Amino acid sequence: MSDKTKADAPNGAKDRPGPSRRTVLAGGAVAAGATALSFPYVSRGLAAESLKFWQFYAPGGGVATQSKWFEDMAKSWNDSHDVKVELVYVPNNAYMDGTKLPTAFASGAGPDLFIISPGDFLRYYNGGVLLDLTPFIDKAAQDDLFPGVIANRMVDGKIYGLPMEVEPMAMYYSVDAFNEAGLTEKDVPKTWEDLLTVGKKLTTDKRFGVLFETAPGYYQNFTWYPFLWQGGGDIQSKDGKSAFNSPAAAQALKFWQDAVNMGVSPRKVLGGGGWDVVPNLASGYCAMQNVGIWAISQLHENAPNFKYGVFKLPTPPGGKYVTVGGGWAFVANAKGKNPKAAGEFCAWALGSMSPDSIERVVDWCTKAKSDMPPRKSALEKGKEAYSKGFLKVFADDIYPGARAEPRVPPPVYKAISDAIQACQLNGQKPEEAAAAASQQIDAFLAGYKGAPIL
Amino acid sequence: MANALRSNSVAMPAARKAAGFRLSSRQREWIAGYLFVAPDAIGLLIFVGAPMLLSLSLGFFSVSGFGEYSFVGLANYRRMLGDPLFWQSLKVTVFYVVMLVPALYVCGLGLALLIQADTRFNGFVRTLLFMPQTVSLVVVGLVWQVLLIDKIGLLNRLISALGVGGFSWLGDPRLALIMVVVISVWFLMGFYMLIFLGGLQDIPREYYEAAKIDGAGPVASFYRITLPLLRPTSFFVLLVSTVTAVCGSQTFDLVYIMTRGGPANTTSLAIFYVYQQAFLFNEYGYAAAMASVLVVVLMLITVLLFMLTRGGRFTYD
Repeated sequence: MSDKTKADAPNGAKDRPGPSRRTVLAGGAVAAGATALSFPYVSRGLAAESLKFWQFYAPGGGVATQSKWFEDMAKSWNDSHDVKVELVYVPNNAYMDGTKLPTAFASGAGPDLFIISPGDFLRYYNGGVLLDLTPFIDKAAQDDLFPGVIANRMVDGKIYGLPMEVEPMAMYYSVDAFNEAGLTEKDVPKTWEDLLTVGKKLTTDKRFGVLFETAPGYYQNFTWYPFLWQGGGDIQSKDGKSAFNSPAAAQALKFWQDAVNMGVSPRKVLGGGGWDVVPNLASGYCAMQNVGIWAISQLHENAPNFKYGVFKLPTPPGGKYVTVGGGWAFVANAKGKNPKAAGEFCAWALGSMSPDSIERVVDWCTKAKSDMPPRKSALEKGKEAYSKGFLKVFADDIYPGARAEPRVPPPVYKAISDAIQACQLNGQKPEEAAAAASQQIDAFLAGYKGAPIL
Repeated sequence: MANALRSNSVAMPAARKAAGFRLSSRQREWIAGYLFVAPDAIGLLIFVGAPMLLSLSLGFFSVSGFGEYSFVGLANYRRMLGDPLFWQSLKVTVFYVVMLVPALYVCGLGLALLIQADTRFNGFVRTLLFMPQTVSLVVVGLVWQVLLIDKIGLLNRLISALGVGGFSWLGDPRLALIMVVVISVWFLMGFYMLIFLGGLQDIPREYYEAAKIDGAGPVASFYRITLPLLRPTSFFVLLVSTVTAVCGSQTFDLVYIMTRGGPANTTSLAIFYVYQQAFLFNEYGYAAAMASVLVVVLMLITVLLFMLTRGGRFTYD
C-alpha cells in the first residue's frame, strides 16, 4: 500500500524526505487543539471545581502577616471541607480601579468569592451577582455584627457581605517633625484652622505640613466624606434628592483647596497613594497625613523605628466630630459555580459564633492588620489589644465617632470626585463645584432604580 | 508508438473522470497560498475584526456588565453629545495629539540625522535612545512620578538650584498634560528614530555627492533631498504616531499610572475616559459608542493622510 502511494505521488514527492503535507497539517491541527485547551476559556470546564477567591493580599506583599492570615484561613477550610478554596491574588491597583474584576464578570467568569469595599457594593449588588449570605449566618452571629458596620452591606434586611474589618480615618503625625518645629503633643490640631496653622509651621522646603489624597478615585472620596459630614452636609437628603449643594459641602471643598493654595498640602503624593503611609509620612515627605487605622500595621512592619502619633480628625467651626469607617468585606458570587459552598465559606470564615471564626476576626484586626473589629464578640475577645498603644486611641477616641462609608453608584461617585478635584487642584469656586455636582447627582437619581444609597 | 499514443489518449479522459476532484497545479497553488495566509487572517478576524464589529454593535445597547443587554438605539450617541466630560476628553486628546505628533516627528528625525553615521559610538547612543522601549510602561510611569514629585523630586531639586521651584509637574492642571507629552516623547522617540534611520539609509549617497558638487550645503541637501525622499517614512511615522496618540496603549498606560486622568480631568484623554466608563462605571454600551466615534475619527485622519499623499503612493518627480 505504501509503495503504491509513493508511486502515485506527484513528481519528486516520492523521494522527498520528512513528513508529508498531510502529516504536517494533521500535526498542526493537534497542536492548535492542545493550545486551545490550555486557554482558560476552554479548559475552565475541565478544571477542578475549587472555589476561586480573588483578593489582593499576595505573598510577599506589603505586610507579610496579612497574606499569611489568608493562607491559614484557606488551609483551615480546605483541611475540613470537600469543596476547596483557592486563593487568587490580583495586584492592588488592578483590583481597586482596574479591569480584572469587572472584565471577569462581564465575560461571565467572575470569581466565586471576592472582597469589596462599600464604595463598590452597589455596582455589584445592582448587577445581581452578590449572593444573599443571610441563610448561612446564625441569628446569634447576625446580632453579633455592629449594626452601623453591617448596614451598608445590607439590602431589604438581607446581608450581602461579611465585613472583615472597620477602618476609621484619622490624622497621623511625625514626632520628629513636630520636635523640629518646636511643637509638642499639646499642639495637636483640634480644628480645621489649627490644622492649617500647624501645617504651615511644619512645612519646609523639603516637606509638606499635611497630606490629603490627591489622586481621583473612590479612595479620595472616601477620605473626604468626614469633612462633608462634620459641617452637617450629606450626599442625599431624606426625600431621595441630592443634598450636595450645601454650605457644608462648599466648606469641606474649600478646606482642601485652602490646604493646597497655602502650600501646606502637596498636589501629588508618593507611593501607592494617600493610603500609603511609609513613602509619605515615614519618609518625611509630609509631617501629618490623613490616613486610616491600617497605617499602624504598615508602620509597624515597614518602618518600625519611625516615631509617630495619632489624633482624631479636626472639626470646622460649629461642626461635630465624625470620621468615616471603611473596610472590606467577603462576598460570594451568586452566579458562581457553587454559590452554596461559597456562602458557607463566608459564614464559616467571618460570620459564625464558633470560637475559630471569632478568633479569626480578632487575629485579622489585631495581628495581621490593625483594624477595628466589625463584631461585638471580636471586640470583647481582643480587648487586651485595644487597651494599649494606638489601637486604644482608635478604640477610645476615634472609632466612637465613625460613620459607615457610604455606598454610592458610580455616577454619584464621579460627580463628587470631579467636585473635589476641581476645587482641590484646579481652583474652582467651591460653591459652584458643589452646585454642579448636585445637579449631576439629581439628574442621575431621577432615573436610578437600584438599591438605596446609604 | 501510434497504438500506444491512441491507447493513452483513450485512457486519459477515463483517468480524469475517475479522479474528478484532482486539482490543477494552479488551483493547488491558489489553495496553498490561502492556507498559508489563513492562520494570520483567522487570527485577525477573531482578535481584531470580530471585536471591532462587536464593539460597534455594543454601542447600540445598554450593557450592565453582568450579562444584561437592552437595545437603546442611538441613545448612547445622544448621551455623548450632552456629556461635558466626553467633550473635555476630546479636547485633551486634540491637545495631546497636536503636541505629541510633531514633537515625535522632530525628535525622531533629528536624532536619526545626528546618529546616522555607522560608528561604534553612534551604535551605543542608538541603544541608549531605544532603551526606554524595553522597559515596562508601568515602571516608566512610576519612575517619572518620583522624578517629578513636588518639592523633593529630582527635577524640582535641579531647578531649585537655579532659584526657581515649587512646581507640581503632575499635580498642576497647567503642567500635567505637557509632562505626559514630554514623557511620551522620551519613551517613543527611540522607536521613531529607528524608523527614520531605516528611511535615511535607503537614500542613495550619490544624490548627496551630486548635490555637493553642485554647491548645495547641508541645509539645502536636507530640504531638497532628505525630506522629499523621506516622504514614505514620514507618512508612516505621522500615521502611526497619530494612532498611538489617540488610542495607543502607551498613552493609556502612562496616564493610568501617573495621573489617573487628573488633576481635575486635565489628562483624561478620550481613551482613558472610555476606560473609566467601561471598567469603573460598568457603562460598556456607552464606552463602546465612544470607542466607535474614536475609530471613525482615526479613519477620517487616515483617509485625509492618504488623500494628501495620493493614496500613499509617492513620486519624486
